[in-house]
Amino acid sequence: MHIADGFLPAKVCLAGYAVTGAATWFSLRQIRRDRDPQANIPKASLLTAAFFVGSLIHIPIPPASVHLVLNGLLGAVLGYYAFPAILVGLFFQAVMFQHGGMSVLGVNAAMMGIPAFLSAYVFQFRHRFGSDHRTTLSVFGFLAGALGVGLSALIFFAIVIANVPSNLNAEAERSAVWILTLSQIPLVIIEGVFTSMLVLFLQQVKPSLLQSTVNSEQ
Amino acid sequence: MRHGLDEYARLDSPLHRWEPRCKFVGLMALIFAFSFIEDLYLLLPMLGITVLLYKLSRLPKTYWCDRLHYPGYFLLGVVVVLPFVSGETILFEIAGLAVRWEGLLDVVEIATRFLCIVTVSLVLFGTSPIATTLRAMRSLGVPSLITDMMLLFYRYLYETLDRLTQVQTAMRLRGFNRQQLSWRNLRILASLAGTLLVTSYEQSEQVYRAMRLRGYGRSTARVSEIPVRTVDAIALGGVLAVSLTLVVLQSLGIEIWKF
Repeated sequence: MHIADGFLPAKVCLAGYAVTGAATWFSLRQIRRDRDPQANIPKASLLTAAFFVGSLIHIPIPPASVHLVLNGLLGAVLGYYAFPAILVGLFFQAVMFQHGGMSVLGVNAAMMGIPAFLSAYVFQFRHRFGSDHRTTLSVFGFLAGALGVGLSALIFFAIVIANVPSNLNAEAERSAVWILTLSQIPLVIIEGVFTSMLVLFLQQVKPSLLQSTVNSEQ
Repeated sequence: MRHGLDEYARLDSPLHRWEPRCKFVGLMALIFAFSFIEDLYLLLPMLGITVLLYKLSRLPKTYWCDRLHYPGYFLLGVVVVLPFVSGETILFEIAGLAVRWEGLLDVVEIATRFLCIVTVSLVLFGTSPIATTLRAMRSLGVPSLITDMMLLFYRYLYETLDRLTQVQTAMRLRGFNRQQLSWRNLRILASLAGTLLVTSYEQSEQVYRAMRLRGYGRSTARVSEIPVRTVDAIALGGVLAVSLTLVVLQSLGIEIWKF
């Protein structure tokens, strides 16, 4: 779910960089309020690498297979580090694999990162319902995972259809956005279930991983 | 570290010798100028500038071809879909599907812009070691938290990839059938991803301790920046002027090839 170079007009690319700049500034401001922000840099970096690699795991949906986005999980685990982490991951995807691109880095980062922020806040709500309870964790894990990828898909299709091709009428564009987004529902459910299972695994094996910056007291 | 990014970073060419900060600013400006181009008459100069840059960089053709393998699928998608859905002027029909003139023009415009931007990106990141480029980005004002994360991410990415390959091989040898979508398989794959996260988290604690022992986080004497040479500044000025000219021509809608 990346927009490629050359696909979008320059004004959209620049707007993407502006939104990403603002979101990065907000994240860094929150991170600097942390007790020891430097201590979390290696943690966030290596977890970003793990998320990047984890998203390469293929989930079988016969006759094909899909790979997960995991931006909702990233938000749930990394909190305020999620946006910089997504920016770093997308930068290297563009530089190493030409997946995405430098002109659309801002748009792609905003498209993946802002839903990750929202997922982080949704996952934080679990504290109001008994954060250690398995059912609560799995429900909020599902919501975080599904919201992350679902919202990204909606933004992705809205941007693509609104900008390319330029000769479709507005009604057709709206229908296309909704049809394409609705076609992602099975994937959104799978991502939600996968995130829910992963969150339960982490709670069992390494609960400290779920105490992200957005969740911890500052 | 095993990687393909620095493979040709030690060649000798004007682009390799160009000061990294100037190169980053100049080529990023060019990338954005290219993304402005919509006029078909400006596609040819854009293509010419790109070919000239790539020639000057002395990067091999195989590097370009290898790097375009994956994004080529995107290009294929554009070529296959757009002529059938975009526009109103029908040129001819293939198996009952109308091929439209406006769609074909969209394909030419998007494909050329895509190839030019990707090629300039390859020149930008292929003609300096990635660590040098990240240092240049840092000195240009990218926050240190982001550049530190980039360096650490790059350092440990391949290690994590190797770990995934090992675990997947072990799973296959133990008879895991990854072709079926079942509750059990999804749980196993979630545990696999979870294991990667836990291992990376534990490794990050060791990495941080090692970094602290080497002085990470303490204030150090500021490393003096290498001054920009006149030739680097002239090259930057030239590339910025070209970028600005393209943007102005596009904004004014001047069809230069008609003169």
